[in-house]
Amino acid sequence: MARTASSNRNRLNRGDGAWGYAFIAVALVVYTLFTAYPVVSAFLISFQEYKPLGSTYIGLDNYTEIFKSSLFWKAIGNTVVYTILTVPVALILSFAVAVMIMPLRKWMQTTFKAVYYLPAVASGVALSVVWLWIFDPMQGGILNQLIGAFGIDSQNWLGASSTSMFSLVLMSWLSSHGTSIIIYVAALLGIDDSYYEAADIDGASFLQKMWHIVVPCLKPTTLFLLVTGVIGSFQVFQNAYLMTGGGPDHATTMVGLLIFDTAFKYFEFGEAAAQSLVLALMIGFMAFLQFKFLGKDVEY
Amino acid sequence: MKKGSRFSVSVLALMVTAGVLGACGSNNGNSPAANNAAGNTGGEGAAAKDTITALLPPVSPTYQENFKQMEADFNKLYPNLTLKIEPASWEDMTQKLDTQVNAGSPPDIAFIGSEGISKYKQLDMVLDITDTVTPEMVADIDEAPLEYMKNGDGLYGLPAYMEVHAIGGNKPFLEEAGIDWKKVQQSGWTYEEFREAIKKGVVKEGDTTKRYGFVFATAGVASKDYLAILVKNAGMPSPFTKDLKYAYTSPNYLEVLKAIRQMIDDGSMPKEISSVDAGKRWNMFLTGQTMITGKGLAVFENSSMKNNEKIDANDGSAVKDSVKTDYVVLPVPTFAGQPAASAAVVDGYVAFRGKKEPTAEHKANVVKAAYFLASGQVAAQTNGDLFAAQITDSGRKASESLPSKQSDYNKAAVQYLLSTAAPARPDIPAELGAKAIKLETEVIVPKFQALLAGETTPEKMFEDVKKAAVDTFGEDGVFK
Repeated sequence: MARTASSNRNRLNRGDGAWGYAFIAVALVVYTLFTAYPVVSAFLISFQEYKPLGSTYIGLDNYTEIFKSSLFWKAIGNTVVYTILTVPVALILSFAVAVMIMPLRKWMQTTFKAVYYLPAVASGVALSVVWLWIFDPMQGGILNQLIGAFGIDSQNWLGASSTSMFSLVLMSWLSSHGTSIIIYVAALLGIDDSYYEAADIDGASFLQKMWHIVVPCLKPTTLFLLVTGVIGSFQVFQNAYLMTGGGPDHATTMVGLLIFDTAFKYFEFGEAAAQSLVLALMIGFMAFLQFKFLGKDVEY
Repeated sequence: MKKGSRFSVSVLALMVTAGVLGACGSNNGNSPAANNAAGNTGGEGAAAKDTITALLPPVSPTYQENFKQMEADFNKLYPNLTLKIEPASWEDMTQKLDTQVNAGSPPDIAFIGSEGISKYKQLDMVLDITDTVTPEMVADIDEAPLEYMKNGDGLYGLPAYMEVHAIGGNKPFLEEAGIDWKKVQQSGWTYEEFREAIKKGVVKEGDTTKRYGFVFATAGVASKDYLAILVKNAGMPSPFTKDLKYAYTSPNYLEVLKAIRQMIDDGSMPKEISSVDAGKRWNMFLTGQTMITGKGLAVFENSSMKNNEKIDANDGSAVKDSVKTDYVVLPVPTFAGQPAASAAVVDGYVAFRGKKEPTAEHKANVVKAAYFLASGQVAAQTNGDLFAAQITDSGRKASESLPSKQSDYNKAAVQYLLSTAAPARPDIPAELGAKAIKLETEVIVPKFQALLAGETTPEKMFEDVKKAAVDTFGEDGVFK
């Protein structure tokens, strides 16, 4: 009798396992078709001279071409500079805003979170149009009017090499922190009150509580935002494409834009695939370094 | 889980999976390959049913409104044929077409610029219709624009219009500056004359410039138009000489670069010109902030008239702070004693092929559809809306009954510009053309942006272009 019950349960378990596979099958198929297959396909195309009616295998020529290209390295350099200037500032700003939101009442927290998240909902193209207006190089441009009040001459913000990268960075600093703020607020809410109570008993100041409680407790969140921020920043495309087109003199050509140009301006899909795979390897390596050096004492 | 539910879930999961696979695996119903099915049945002669697909942008303000009528008229003309038009915005057009081309399933016909033919020919995706166009069709179309649709020995489409990218002035301001615009329209001007004219057009209040002499859209990729239009009038009507040497290593190229910097340094053009885009420069024209603007198309006269009507009617949709303007078509100045060579732009209906070789029957039907769109009533209406010259006899005849608001002097100026249009260069191999485009995008445009922003000198830019040209085409492949 006991054996019969056990064998029934096994049969049942076997069935559930099969059903588990059936349920994930759809997601798996979608993942395979729209993520895994394009990656494998890009890998294969990177060794070819791609043509819709029949590609030619050319070995490592596409890779040789991109490593020889000074423009590719310039684009990498620009992307690194952009990442260094935007990601840490974005983290600090998001953290500061989240900390400032925390003591507020619930409805005010929600209002601020919604306000900060709004740019993420708005179309990037619409935002770029607003920023183009802000950066208008003529005297009527908002930013030029602002600096004019301090006696500074009008600047050709997007048209001069000296200011174009800064303009894109400024645009990043002043927008798109909504997601990070929400994540930081959620993480702050997860810190047990007993830590603050103990600190209060010990007479800790606000800054001491920040440094000894909040910062260590938020380390996993910060690491997550840092890694995803660096990945996102390395893939930046829209701002450069819409605001400067990569110019002037390639001062704002990022790798993402270069890949787009290689693929859709020159139709060199093989080279574009090689560029994107090199970029993927770089991003992977950066993430590895971040986890190795910053993720040692992070518990999940 | 009950057996019935399990069965339902299995069936649903299978259906979704099959659906996803099917959607990805199936051919686009609009592809020539799919359309060729009708042609492949063969044996039914000209009466076999067929569908021709066309991807068309809003060529003129009323163009897309007429699609249903165009489809119906075509079907009336050829009852066995269906013209299926897919509309696209100008912004989406290239991306949509490129995606379809690279997937191997483009439309049968797409409206593109003739300069795009070499790009698609490199991918073997354009259809040579030389053996399919009839002598009657060829006789109907003007020779010069038809030449633009050729590449090598092949003909890849039929032209819709031939326009000239020139410049345009505001008549009251030109007269205020003492410029004999009628004479300029009829016989052109040299750079030296032009430079003096635009200096006279500048209006200042203290240190602030209220009106510039000349503003050309140069932000981003638009800068390549500016340079390309000017160098044509400096003895370089094409990036390649007749013996296929890269032309932009000529000393005349340096003369044009120096002139461009001079006009900014004179104060005739804004120092922020590198950030002035097409919308901004037209706004500056309508608001009286510039005397001459570029690039200019004949149709701008219509835009100017429409805004004037709005100002007269106190219509709030008139451009903010705009003044009444009177658009005058003007030729681009000539440089270094070289003859005028207008930048002709020929756009038209280019034929594409899919992965499968189209049947002769389908190819003939595609040509019929392209000719229907490029001639007769459709062409007359479209070119009339654009203030563009008719380039087919049938279009000219059909346009006789259509009213035109274009002024006679601008009509005559356009004819003068067309008479000096740079000839088509179908002899430039697609591979050479592609290299020139890459050089232009990766070196010329970025360096030119730097020149406009005052970050490099004409001499340094010229050296950079020369070096890149030698690297691309070799020492013997460039003009010396």
